[in-house]
This record gives sequence, C-alpha cells and structure tokens, in this order.
Amino acid sequence: MGIDRRDVIKFIVGGAVGSTLTPIPWKLTDDISIWTQNWPWIPTNIGGKNEYTPTVSKLCPSNSGMLLRTVSGRPVRPQGDPDSPLSGGKISSLAAAEAQMLYSPSRVRRPLRKTSDGTYKAVSWAEAEAILSEKLGNATGGVGVISGDENGSMNEVLSALAAGFGSDDCHFMPGSAQAEAVAYNQLMGGEGQPAYDFEKADYVLAIGADVLESWGPVVATRRAYADMRPHGEDPKSTWVYAGAFQTNTAAGADRFVAMRPGAQVALALGVANLLIKEGASATGLSGFASLAAQYTPEKVAEVAGVSPDALQEIAKGLASAQKPLVVVGAEGNEGGSTAAAIAGIACNMLLGSFKAVPYPRTVVQGAMGRGDMLAKDVASYVAGFKGGKAPEVLITYQANPVYALPGSIKTKEAFENVSFKVCFTTYLSETALASDLILPVPHSLEMVDDVATPYGYGKALYAVARPLVPTLVDAKHPGDFLLGLGAKLGKDLGFASYQKVLEAKARAMGANWADVSRGTVYVSDSQASTYGVRVDADAVAKAAAVVEVADLTLCPVMKLNFGTANCGIPPFNLNTIRGDELDSDYLYAHLNASTAKSKGVAQGDVVRISSAAGTVMAKVNIFEGVMDGVVAIPKNFGHTAFDEFTRGKGDNVSALFAVASEPGTQASVWTGQAVELKRA
Amino acid sequence: MASKKEFDIVWGMVIDLDKCTGCGACMVACQAENNVPVTKDATNKLRSLTWLLVYELSNGKPFPDHDVAYLPRPCQQCGNPACVPVCPATVTKKDEEGGIVSQVYPRCFGCRYCMASCPYHVRYFNWFDPVWPEGMEKTLSPDVSVRPRGVVEKCTFCHHRWMHAKDKARVEGRDPYALEQMEYQTACTEACPNGAIHFGDLKNPEHTVHELSKSKYAFRLLERLGMDPQIYYLSRREWVRRLGDNYLDDEKTGDFKVVGGHGHG
Repeated sequence: MGIDRRDVIKFIVGGAVGSTLTPIPWKLTDDISIWTQNWPWIPTNIGGKNEYTPTVSKLCPSNSGMLLRTVSGRPVRPQGDPDSPLSGGKISSLAAAEAQMLYSPSRVRRPLRKTSDGTYKAVSWAEAEAILSEKLGNATGGVGVISGDENGSMNEVLSALAAGFGSDDCHFMPGSAQAEAVAYNQLMGGEGQPAYDFEKADYVLAIGADVLESWGPVVATRRAYADMRPHGEDPKSTWVYAGAFQTNTAAGADRFVAMRPGAQVALALGVANLLIKEGASATGLSGFASLAAQYTPEKVAEVAGVSPDALQEIAKGLASAQKPLVVVGAEGNEGGSTAAAIAGIACNMLLGSFKAVPYPRTVVQGAMGRGDMLAKDVASYVAGFKGGKAPEVLITYQANPVYALPGSIKTKEAFENVSFKVCFTTYLSETALASDLILPVPHSLEMVDDVATPYGYGKALYAVARPLVPTLVDAKHPGDFLLGLGAKLGKDLGFASYQKVLEAKARAMGANWADVSRGTVYVSDSQASTYGVRVDADAVAKAAAVVEVADLTLCPVMKLNFGTANCGIPPFNLNTIRGDELDSDYLYAHLNASTAKSKGVAQGDVVRISSAAGTVMAKVNIFEGVMDGVVAIPKNFGHTAFDEFTRGKGDNVSALFAVASEPGTQASVWTGQAVELKRA
Repeated sequence: MASKKEFDIVWGMVIDLDKCTGCGACMVACQAENNVPVTKDATNKLRSLTWLLVYELSNGKPFPDHDVAYLPRPCQQCGNPACVPVCPATVTKKDEEGGIVSQVYPRCFGCRYCMASCPYHVRYFNWFDPVWPEGMEKTLSPDVSVRPRGVVEKCTFCHHRWMHAKDKARVEGRDPYALEQMEYQTACTEACPNGAIHFGDLKNPEHTVHELSKSKYAFRLLERLGMDPQIYYLSRREWVRRLGDNYLDDEKTGDFKVVGGHGHG
C-alpha cells in the first residue's frame, strides 16, 4: 500500500483538526503553567486572624497615625488611622513602608563594639553596659548628645543623663523647627512653639516650606488641604507656594511663585510691607514697619526674583482672606534663616493669625525642654570638635550627623576628636560606622515611645507609639537601658522604666495614659500666651541685607518617599523614585533649559557641582519647573552605609552645604548656597 | 471588536489630578497590599513592577510658565479591554460582575501578548523570581498570591477586598451586590493623604464616583482608542485634560472637547 499526496494532506489536515479539537494540548499547557509556578522558594500565603491596632509612626517625620494590620500577630502593613488627627485614615509614603522596615537588611541586630583594627565585634548587652559605664564614669571632659527624634520623650532621658554629668550639650539634628524656635523663643521673647492651623486656613502662603510633602505633620496638613477642595468644584481655599523648584507642594498649590533659594526673608518682608500699607498692624512690631517699607515689590523682585505682580496678588489674597496663614521654611527643611522665621511670624501677627502652643512640659528631673534643645546649634557644636571643644563621650540617638550635617563641618573628621562615641540606632548608618559602640534600638513597632505636639501642628497633641510585635533582634529599649545605667552610675533620673516616663508625660500633657496607651490621640486646645512678643527689626535688617543673588544657587529637595538620613531608602519606596530622579547609581540634578544652556550642558550630561564645602556628581535633567539660575538636587541619596537598597545610589547633596553665621541673629544658616556646575 | 459585556456594577475610579501631589503613598500602599516584590534597582522601570505608577506631567512650557501635574496610573479596567482577546490562556477576562479585568496567575505562561496590546502599559512581567530581603516575606499579605518568574501581573482594583466585603455582607445577611461605597475601597484610595482618589460603583448614584465621572472636568486616557476605561481623571487645567488624549507630542488632537460620563468618546 502506497502513501500518495492525498494521504499526506489528509494526515496533516486531520492532525491539525484533531489538535485543535482535543483538549489535551490545552490541558497540558494549563498544567505546565501551574506546575512551573509551584516552586518551594516562592512564598505561600499564611492566613490567620486579622487585627488592626492603632499606633503612631516614629519612622516618618510626618508622624502619621496608623493602624497596623497583623495576621495572627504577624505584622503585614500599616494603614491610615481614621480616628487619628495625624492621619484622618491616610498615610504617608514612608509610614506605609514601616512594617517592612522591621526586616530591613540594615537593621542593627546586636550590640557592636569597634575593635582596635577598626572592625566591629558583637558584644553582649552586659558588656556594652560595662563599657559605657566606664566611659561615662570617667567622662571628666563632658558628655554630648545629638538626637534625631524631635518630639519624643527620649530627649528628656538623654538630656537629664547628660545633665548628671554637668553637660547641657544636647542638640537636635537640623530641621524645620530650629530657626523658628531660635527666632520666637530667643529673639522675640515668645514662649512655646509657633502653631499652624491649616484646618481652617482659606489662604496659605508657603514661603519655601514644602507643606504638602515634607514640612511638619504633613499627612494632617494634607487632610486640611483636601477638605477645603471638593472634587470637581472650585477650591474653598487658596494655596500659594513660593520656591525655586516645583515641589510636590507646588504641584498641589493653586499658584507657584518663583523665589530664589534663601530669599525667604526678603519675600516675607515684601509681603509684610504691602500688608502694612493696606492698614494691617500689630503690637510688638515697632521699627519693623520702616524695615518692611524698604522691601518694595521692586526690591523683592531684585533680591528674591519674585515678580511684583505676584507679590501684589499674594498680599491682596492674604489681606482679603478670613483665615490666612504664612508658613516660612527652608528648602530641604534645614539650615533656614532665623531672620526669615521672624519675618514670617511678623506676617502672621499682622494678619492676626499667629498663635503658639506650649512646649511639652518636661517630667524627668534635670531634662532640657524642647525649646532649649532646639535653640542649640548642632552645626557650631560639631564644628567645634576640631577646635578642642569635643566632648569626651558623644551619644547619638536615632541621628545620622556623619551623613547629614553640612559638608563644611566635615563631621566624620570632627568625630575623630571625640574619645568615645556611642550610637543608639535601629539601622546601621554612617554615624553608627563612625562610632565606638553601636547599640541597637528596637524598631518603632517594637517599642513604646511617644509623639508630643509635633512641630507644625496647630494644637498641643500627645500620641503613644506602642510595641505591637516582639523585638526581632537583640535590641533593648534605649530609655530603659539609660535609666538603669544612670541609676548604676549614681545619676538616678527618678523613673524605673521608660513607660513610667511616658505615663508621667501623659499626665503632664493632660492626657489619660489608659487612653493614649490604647492608641487614642490626645488633643488639647491650650495655647501659649503671645503677650509681649516683639520683633527685633535690627537683627532682621542685618540678615536681610546679606541675601545675595548668585550665578547658580542650590535648591535641595526633600521628599518623604526618598526616606530619611536615619533609615536610608526603604526597599518599598525605591519604586516610587522616578527615572528622572535617580538613574541606577546616578542622581539627577534638575535645571531648566535656559540655565543648562548657559552652563553648556544638556540632558543626561554628567556634571560636577561644587561649592566652598564640597562636590557632588550628578546627571542633568532638564526640568522647566526650576527657576533660572538654580540647580535642584534631591536629598537622602549618596549613602555609604545601610544596605543594597540605599548604598551607592547617587551622591549626597549635604556635601555642598557650607555653614555661615547669619548677621544679626548669629544662627547657623546654609540655604541659598552658591554653587558651580561644570561638565565632568 | 467583540461586543461589550455589560455589568450592573462597574467599579471605577475618579482621580483628581489637581489634588495629587505625586507623593507616592498610593504606590507604596499598593505594593504592600498586593505583595509586589522589591527590586534593588527600581529606577529601571523596564524591570521593576509597579501596578500603580505615578507619572509626572508637564505643560511643556519653559520656566516661568511651566506647570506640573502628577498622574497615578493603575489598570484602567477597560470596558473593551485590548488584553482580553489576545490572551491565549484565558488568564485575563472581563466576565465577572463589577467589570474588573481578571488576571489568573496560575494560568499565565508569560507570552506577554497582553502587555503588547495594552495601550496604557499597566501590565508587568516578572523577569525574575520575587525576592524579599531575608525575613521581609513574613510581612506578605495572606490575601494575594505571590507571582513567580515568567508571569504577567497588574492592578486588580484590590479584588480580594471586594471578595472580603461581599463575604462580610453575606455573613450579615445583606445583599453582597449592594455595598455601601466605603465597604470596598482599594489600598491606594485608602492611603492617598490628599484624598485625590475616589473609588466606587460608577453606575450607583449613591457612590460619589457616579457624579464625579460626569464632571465637566472629567476625562479618560486615550479616549479615542475606544477602550472605555473605568478610570476617570479630573482636572480644572485644560492642558492636563488635553494631555490625557494626546499620545504623541506632535499629534494633532483638534479642538478640545469636554468629556465625562459613560460611553462618551
């Protein structure tokens, strides 16, 4: 029997029809796809009982109120807490990653001591305590403290312990609150913390303050912003952002007004001038009106680059608003002008919208108040280490000065003048790796802590962060550890445990411990008296006189999704960083096309940006939301410590910061930094 | 094009681009809620997975006339999805009440036809097995399965949350298909501190998205393609609305027409 052509065709057609009709290949494909996905290394779902427990974020500077979802005790993720005034059911990009940071590869897992060859050796807590006891016991040369937690009661334990050794060298890392604290408490005769009532504001002028992204308790601020802006309707409030870069706040604002970095004082004086001309007045401003009068729209245009029309429009808007608010802040939330803070407060006084809330009362005997700590100048303090003013023992607490202090201080070198450095930290930061003893602090979801009246919030407030999961590493609560250590060294601070400190703190705030320890946020209407507050016009005049226009000025940009100096870039936040912000390991510096052309650079060019303090390398991104003559560079990149998600990504903009003393106020400032940019 | 399947419930979003400031909270919330793995070099957007991606928009004008907006882009859950007819393995379908385009991972063998066909680039391919830093896998949600290498994934409108909401209604003796708006919300909607994202049933007059989608400021992306997306955007800025339907820089879109509501083009 032969096979002819017809048979072959029949076979092929039959095979094709058969293959199409039979379920076998489809079943096989289905099975293959299922079984090729069934690998032991692919995590499987672990079910269990769901619970949602309220707490407050200590990882995110916004102090978001959160509900931590746990599944049979296993932390899954935080969500916003609808009952928290710091959240309103919403959450920041950083706090949203807080549970995952429990398992950050850069967590410090046990106490570590630096050996003579520079490597680190694990030690027990008993050994660590003995080492620190010996160093503190012999510390005739003083004890210094640098804290990275601005609103927790740990600062009381740290400063009271330092006071036991005769020291008041307790400092915060640079932040938004400092310029205003020096301005209000030291130079204006005010008591308490300036407060900002965004909830009722119908006209907000943010002068350099990135109020919708990184300034203050931003989730609460953004809730206030959202509530006044119903979808699809005309907004019931007007927000104006004045700055050199179209930040996230500029994106949400009704009006972006270009203003040179570091020119906040000139714009605030210009606004005050027009308000006074419109008839506004306030007690305590003698001499201020004649200073403000010098800042005509033309003068403000010359110094700050703000158009006269925009200034007139702002003044008119503020004057006609029912609840206007002026917020002054520095680019990147640090190194801001104290004189600008004074001028901002004066604007609010003229508008009748200035108010202050009491600083949280201290409960640990000998502790420094927040206002006193904020008034301390950490930049000058650390710079002084090289001039023979180094403490014998330096305690850093959840702070990363080696990475984050201005480049001109050369902090790493300054630290070498300190005999013994102990670093309390959750993550292995640059500062930890420059310390002699590294003591792991539990993650914020593992330990009890608190948030007392965060800077930028409109009311006195108290919230407790609760230990919701067991501590995953060999960490001890720093409060309990230091209270016990103090007692052993004869410096009893009067509390047996940190929780007792917080219980006393809750009472001092007027809160009920039983409530706040269950996650309820206490809010008080108490206000600090503003009687007798006055403006030192001479100091402001001297500071304002030195605001200069540079050929190229630096504008640092802080965004919460970039993480913080203390925690690096959380792995879950890397996805949120755009391709024109970070290119693998190159940071982008943003320039507009006109500035780029004048510098002879184009999109993607690698450039070297330098100042009197240092140099950073970056690629050029042409972005028209940057003012002429300005280069905007994101913060929190260029780490040399932490983990693979943070380390080696871009360069550190802090290297460019050169500290100067502001005439009139003598405060350390580093905004409006002149820089040079050249193709690398 | 196959005839469009109609549903009694059409889950949809209205995202107010005038309120979005590009913070990324929605992206992180989405990633944590849906067990999206982390990547060391996440700035490489061709290799990283972002079910929800926030784009930066520019009005294209030089300083000082420049304006910026941010556009969160989840799966558009199209009424006429381009991904469904090209899927050879019936991984992706639009056949369930609610109108959410499904993605059944165990069926997917990674041909990526759906990725090629989606005009919104909402679909992502797992080039690598998902790896979390040691121990971080313990934070995985039990609600969503982890996808291995070779599988395409995308936003599901947090479909598991709808299933939970329906289950809860059933247990309470209520109609699972008559949910109040807040009973089922996606993780991104819940997280957004600016309240820029609204989520609900576009067909239910009691859900805010019903009216918002008809706003004179509402528009949809690439409307002319006829995909009938269930994501609406709001902006009072005309340049933002124009950009939503302008795929190429030099493409002439003609006179701008206000769009909004169902079935318009």
